[in-house]
Amino acid sequence: MYNLLRQGQRLTCWMPAAQQMHTTAVQRTFWEREKKSGYKTKLPEPSKKQLIMDGLRDLKEEIKLWRKEVTEQLESDPILVFRPGETDVVFDFKAPDVLDKWTVTTDADHGEGKSTAALELSAAGAGLFHGEVNSNHTKDGIIKRTGYANIRTKRVRKSFKRESTYDWTQYNMLIMKVRGDGRSYLINLHTEGYFDLMWNDIYHYVLYTRGGPHWQIAKIPFSKFFLSSKGRVQDRQGAIPLNRVTHFGFSVAAKKGMDGPFGLEIDYVGLEYDPSHREEFAYEMYQTPKYIVAT
Amino acid sequence: MLRRAQCLLRMHSSTSRQSLCAAQRVPVALHKHYSADEANRDGKQNPNAKRAGTGGSKSLPAVRNVFATAQDKTKDTYLTMVEIFGERDVHRRNHVEFIYAALKHMPDFGVENDLEVYKALINVMPKGKFIPTNLFQAEFMHYPKQQQCIIDLLEQMEDFGVMPDYEMEAMLLNVFGNKGHPLRKYWRMMYWMPKFKNLSPWPLPNPVPDDTLEIAKLAVERMCTVDLRSQINVFETKELNDAVDETWIVSGMSPEQSKLLREHSRQKALYIEGPFHIWIRNRRINYFTLRADADAEFLAQLDERQLDEDDVSNIEVPFFGRPPPRRHNQLGKLRSVHQQDDGTIFAICATGTSTKDSLLSWIRLLEANGNPSIGEVPVLFRFTSTVPAKSEEIEGPTSVPATSSDSPSRSRKEDEPSVS
Repeated sequence: MYNLLRQGQRLTCWMPAAQQMHTTAVQRTFWEREKKSGYKTKLPEPSKKQLIMDGLRDLKEEIKLWRKEVTEQLESDPILVFRPGETDVVFDFKAPDVLDKWTVTTDADHGEGKSTAALELSAAGAGLFHGEVNSNHTKDGIIKRTGYANIRTKRVRKSFKRESTYDWTQYNMLIMKVRGDGRSYLINLHTEGYFDLMWNDIYHYVLYTRGGPHWQIAKIPFSKFFLSSKGRVQDRQGAIPLNRVTHFGFSVAAKKGMDGPFGLEIDYVGLEYDPSHREEFAYEMYQTPKYIVAT
Repeated sequence: MLRRAQCLLRMHSSTSRQSLCAAQRVPVALHKHYSADEANRDGKQNPNAKRAGTGGSKSLPAVRNVFATAQDKTKDTYLTMVEIFGERDVHRRNHVEFIYAALKHMPDFGVENDLEVYKALINVMPKGKFIPTNLFQAEFMHYPKQQQCIIDLLEQMEDFGVMPDYEMEAMLLNVFGNKGHPLRKYWRMMYWMPKFKNLSPWPLPNPVPDDTLEIAKLAVERMCTVDLRSQINVFETKELNDAVDETWIVSGMSPEQSKLLREHSRQKALYIEGPFHIWIRNRRINYFTLRADADAEFLAQLDERQLDEDDVSNIEVPFFGRPPPRRHNQLGKLRSVHQQDDGTIFAICATGTSTKDSLLSWIRLLEANGNPSIGEVPVLFRFTSTVPAKSEEIEGPTSVPATSSDSPSRSRKEDEPSVS
C-alpha cells in the first residue's frame, strides 16, 4: 500500500506524448530500468579472456570467504550480550586498505557541477574526506542546484558476490569519532529494497561538527533518522529497519553560500546499545489525510 | 503615491519621460513580458542567436525585466514593483512569469531571506479563482502552472531557510483551497522545518555578523566548547612594544591547558600550526593552534593500566591472596581532553591578519598573561596550508616550500637557559 501511494507521485508527472520534449530519457512507466536512474556510466567491457582470468582469480578469494561463512555457521556462536557503553566499530579507518571500501562521488562526475572531493588517509592516520564544493554549474537549463560531494561504502555482500545487508538490530546508537570543520554533514543510511520504488530509500540525519583541533565523538540514536527518497523527505515515515541497511555514507553540500573547501576526518564509525534510550522513532506517526500522502 | 512616483522615476529615468508628469499612466506603459528579456538581452550580445531565431530579435516584442533594470536595488523598490504590478489592471496578465522573474532576482535586491517579500509575491495571485469546485478538478491539479509557480516559490524559501508562518497558510488557502498542492508543500515545510531549525548543538546567530572580529570570537568560542572552563581573550597587539602588525587576536585557553603547558617538558618544542579553517555558517575563519607532540610515555602508561575485561584466565579474588597494590593502581593522573592521540593542544587563536608576526605577538601575550613557561620552551612555526598562495601571503615571499615548513623563528628564546 505504501509503495502504491508512492507510485501516485509519479502519476502526476504524466503528460500527453505530444507535449513531451526532453533531452534525457523519459520515464513512461512506473518501472525503472536500472538503479542509477539514468546516471549509469557505460564502461568498456574487458575481453573474454580477461574476464575468465579475473573470475578465476576472484574465485580463490570467494571460496575463502565462503569457508569462513560456513565455519561461522557451524560454530553458531553469535554475540548475545551487547554491553552498554561498549562501542562495536563497523568502519574503522585505521584498518589496512580501508579506502577501497568507499566510493567518492561529486556532481562533477556527470558533468553537472564543479565540485571536487577525495578520501585519503590523514596525518593522524584516520580517513580524511576533503575537497571543495562549488554551487556553480553548467547552465543547461535543466539542472537547478548543484554543489555536493559524497562518500559511500560499497554494497555489503557475502561470498560469490551475493548481496546481503547489515544487521544492526541489536544496537540503537550510531557512534562516530570525527574531526570536522564546523560544517554540517549529512549521514546517509541506505536501505535499498528489492523493488524499484525502494531503490532510493535513504535514512538521513545531520552530523554537526564542532571544528577545531579536538576530536569529537558524535552519538546519534537511530530513532532520529528520517526517510527520504531521491532527496525528498517522505510523508509516510517509519523507524529505520536496521536489518536492511545496505550502505553507509556522508554528504556535504554547498548550500546557502557555503562554497569552498571542506574537510571531515573520520577515525571510526561504530554502534552501541544504550539501554537508557527508549525512543523508537522521534517523529509523529499520525494518520495523514487520504490522497495527500506522496502527491 | 509619492514613493511610487519616485520609484518609477528611478526605473524609467532613461526611457520614458512621461512618468515625470503623469505617474498614473506609467504602469500601463510597463512592458508585459517580464521573464523573456533576459534571453533577449543575450540575443543582442550574441550574433548567432539573432540568426538562429526565425524572425530574429525584431519580431520579438520589446520586453524588459523591471527587476533586472531597476537601478535602486532595495527592498522598498522591490515591494513597490510588486505593488505596481498588482494594481496595473484587473486581469494581472502574466503574473506567473512575473513571479518567476521576481524570484530569480531576489538575491540582487537582498530580500531572499525576507518572509514579507514572499508573502507579497503570493498576494499577486488572484483570490478564489483557482479553488477547485469539484472532485475532478481537485484531483487533476487545477491550474497547474499557477500551482507549480507557488510550489517553486516555497521551494526557494526552503532553500534559503525561510520558515513560513500561519498568515501564509491563510493566503494559500484563499488562492488554491485546501486541496491545493502548494498547501501540501506548505504543510510539509511547517512540519519539518521547525524540527530542523534549532537542531545544532552549537547555535549561531542568523545571519552571522559581518564583522570579522565577531565571527572570530564565535569561532574560537565554538572550538573551545570542548572544555567548559575555557576562557576567550581578545588581545590587541598594540599592548606589546615591538609588534609590527596592529591587529586583534582572539585566543582561547583553559586553566587545564595552562596546567599542561606548565608541566610540559622544557626540552620538547611547541608548534604553532595552521592556518586551519572553521566554518561559521557561510563564513570561513582561519585559526592557529599551539600544540606539542603527544606525550607517548604518559599515553602508554594509561593503556597499561587498562585491564582486558574479556580475559577470564586469571580472575583476581578480592578476599584472599590479594597482591599488594602496585604503583600503577594507586592514584594517577587522568587524561585531559586536550591530550589527544595526535598531540596535546595548549591554545587556539584567530588573528586579524593571520601573519607570522601576529602569531608571535600571540605567544608573547600568552606569556605575559599567566603562562610564563612558554618563554622557556622553543616554539616553532609550522604552516601547513594546502593553498601555496595563502601560505606565501602569510609567511612572506620566501624560498621555503609552501606546503610545510618548520622555521625556528624564536631562537632568541631557545638560547635562554631553562629555569627549573
